[in-house]
Amino acid sequence: MREFIDGNTAIVRAALDAGCTFFAGYPITPASSILMAMMRQLPRVGGVAIQGEDEIASIGMCIGATLAGARAMTATSGPGISLYSENIGLAIMGEVPLVIVDVQRLGPSTGGATTVSQGDVQFVRWGTAGGFPIIALAPSTVPEAYHLTVRAFELAERFRCPVFVLTDKELGTTLTTVDSEALVAEPVAARVTGAAGTPYRYQPAAAVAPLHEFGRGTTVRFTGSTHDEAGFITKTLPTVDALNRHLIDKIEANRVEIELVDADLQPGAKTLVVGYGITGGAVRAAVAAARGAGEPISGLVVQSLWPVPESALAVALDGVERVIVPELNPGLYRREIERIAGNRTVIGVERLDGELLSPQQIREAAA
Amino acid sequence: MTTGAKYTRQDFQTDQEVRWCPGCGDYTILASVQNFMAEMGVDKEKIVFVSGIGCASRFPYYMNTYGVHAIHGRAPAIASGIAVARPELSVWVVAGDGDAMSIGGNHLIHALRRNINLKILVFNNQIYGLTKGQYSPTSELGKRTKSSPSGSIDFPFNPVSLALGAEATFVARTIDMDRAHTTEILNRAYEHKGSAFVEIYQNCNVFNDKAFIALTGKEERDLNRIPLVHGEKVVFGPDRDRGVIIEGGTARIVSVADVGIDAIHVHDATAASAGPAYALSRLSHGPFGPTPIGVFRSVDRPVYEETLQQQIHDAQAKKGGGDLAALIASAGTWTVA
Ligand code: SF4
Repeated sequence: MREFIDGNTAIVRAALDAGCTFFAGYPITPASSILMAMMRQLPRVGGVAIQGEDEIASIGMCIGATLAGARAMTATSGPGISLYSENIGLAIMGEVPLVIVDVQRLGPSTGGATTVSQGDVQFVRWGTAGGFPIIALAPSTVPEAYHLTVRAFELAERFRCPVFVLTDKELGTTLTTVDSEALVAEPVAARVTGAAGTPYRYQPAAAVAPLHEFGRGTTVRFTGSTHDEAGFITKTLPTVDALNRHLIDKIEANRVEIELVDADLQPGAKTLVVGYGITGGAVRAAVAAARGAGEPISGLVVQSLWPVPESALAVALDGVERVIVPELNPGLYRREIERIAGNRTVIGVERLDGELLSPQQIREAAA
Repeated sequence: MTTGAKYTRQDFQTDQEVRWCPGCGDYTILASVQNFMAEMGVDKEKIVFVSGIGCASRFPYYMNTYGVHAIHGRAPAIASGIAVARPELSVWVVAGDGDAMSIGGNHLIHALRRNINLKILVFNNQIYGLTKGQYSPTSELGKRTKSSPSGSIDFPFNPVSLALGAEATFVARTIDMDRAHTTEILNRAYEHKGSAFVEIYQNCNVFNDKAFIALTGKEERDLNRIPLVHGEKVVFGPDRDRGVIIEGGTARIVSVADVGIDAIHVHDATAASAGPAYALSRLSHGPFGPTPIGVFRSVDRPVYEETLQQQIHDAQAKKGGGDLAALIASAGTWTVA
C-alpha cells in the first residue's frame, strides 16, 4: 500500500509508535500540524496533549510530565527553539529524556515562516548555556522522518537527555508518496526506571542511571543547579566536576552508538558530497547524475548531525581530495567538515533565498 | 484533615542544612508546611514540590517529598506537566514574588485560568532577596532599592487582585508569622479542587525588613488585619468597630457605628462573581494599612485534569483503544492506490 503523507505526519506516527504519551506545543508555522495531529491522536491512545501558553511552558510541561513518568515530545520551529533554550538546559542538567522536533524555517527572527531553511543546525547544538553536547538527528526523506523520530525516542531514553529531530518546512509539509511498509518500526523498549537510591550516577562517567519517576519509589529531587547524585544542590568541586564530565561523556564516549549516515561511496572517487536533511535528496540526485555522466563521485548524507559522525566521515574522506557541502544556510555545517577534512579542499554550496538547492547546482560546484 | 499518627514534622525534613538568612520568614513557612504535611497524612511519596529560582525556591531541598528546583519563573509550567501526567500526585509550587509575578507571570496566570490542580504558594517579600535587593513587581511605588536608586516608578501588582483577574478558583492571603492561620489556609488550599493561589506575606529581614509590620507589629496588627470569614460580616479592629461595605463594586472601610451593622458586607468566598472578592482585594496596596487576610474566593469549576481525562476516555471509547493504524489512517492521511 502506498500513502500520501508529509514529514510532520510521519513524525506524529513515529511518536505514537514509539510510545509517546505526552505532547505539549505552541502553534508555529511550519510545525503546527504536529501539534494539531497530536491533540487529536494522543488521547485516542490514552496520552495527553496540551497547547501551552507559549513555547517556554510547552517544553516545561514536557519536562514535568517526563519526571512524572511520561514519554514526551514537543515540536516547534526556530523562533520556538529560542524560547526553549533555558528548558533545554534544564533537561540536559536534570537528565530528562525528551524529543524536540525543530521544523526549520528561514531566519533570523520571524524570517520566512513558510520558507525552507537549514539555519538551525548550529543553533540546536549551541542553543543553551554551557556548551554541553546534545544529540540531533536530521531526516532527509519522509520515511527517514519516521525512523529517525523513533530512534530519537530510543536515544532520549538511552542517554536521558533531550534529542532533536531537525527537519524543515519542505520536508515537514510537502505530501509525498511513500510505501506503508516504510513506516513501520519495532516498539521502543519500556523505560528502565529506578525506585530507590540516588537519581543520578556520575561514575563511570559514560554510564547513565535509570530515571527515577515521581510517585514511584523513594522521594528524590531534580534540579537545574549543580547537584550531587542525590539531586541536592552542591558546589563541592569534585562533585561538580564529576557531574559535568558525566554530562559530556555519556554522549561523547558513546558517539559511535549514535552515529547514523547514509553513505554511497565510490572507490577511487576524489570528490565527496556531504549533505543532510532536505538537501540530502539533491545530494543523492547529483551523485547519480555525475556517475551517469561517467564522473566518479561519492555521496554521504549525514543523519546524526550531532555529535558529528566523525568515524563515518573519516571513512568517507579516505582518498578524497575535495568535499562539496551543500546547505540552505551560510555554510554552518561546512565548518564541521572543514574541522575534520585536514588539507582537503572544502567547497560550500549555499542557498539563502528560501528555495531548495538543485542537483545541478551541486554538480556545477563539483565541476 | 486526616490526622497524622502516620508522620511527624521530622518525616518531612531532609538532611540538608537550611540556608536562609537567620531570621528570614521562610523558616517559619517551612515549619508550617512541614507540620501541615505531617498532619495531612498524605504519603510523602505522592507529594511533589516544584520551584523556580529565588530564596523561596530552595524549598524542595528541605522537603522530604519529590521535588524539582527548576528555572526562574517556570515552576507553574513544569508543575502543570507533572499534575496533568499524574493526577494522583499532590503538586505544590513554591515561588517568590519575582519568580511568580515578574518572569513567571505568564505561566502563573495560565495555570490559574486552566484550574490545574496545583497549590501555588507565593512568598511575597516585595523585594529580590537572592540577587541582593532589587525592586520586585510587588515593591511599592517610590521604593528605593539598589536597582531603583531614585525610587521605583513601576506600579506594583496586588497579587490577590492578579490571581482573581486570572480566573483563579481559590485565592487566599496569609502571613508567615501567623502559623495557625497559615496552616488553616494551607489546609483550605489542599482541600480545594483545582488551582489554589496563596499569597504569604514573608519578611525578608535582610533587604526589606518590616515590610509587613502593619500586619505583624504588636501595636498595629489588630488595627490593620481584616479577617475574612466566609458567611460573616467583614469587621475588624481591636473592638471590631470598623467594617467594610461594598458600594457600586467598590469596597470601603467604615465605622460600624456610622453605617449600622446591617450595611456591613457579608463575606461570601463562594460567590459566583469574583467582583466582591476583587473589591476586597483592592482595600490595600502594600500593605501599609488595613488589609484583608484569609480566603477571598473558593469556587468550584471543572478541574483541568479531570476534563482532560474525560476527553481521553471519550476518545478511546469512540475509536477503540488499540487500533492505532486505523486511527491514524482516519486522521488526515491519504492512501494512494
Ligand atoms: S535574602 Fe531575604 S528572603 Fe532571602 S533568605 Fe535572606 S532574609 Fe530570606
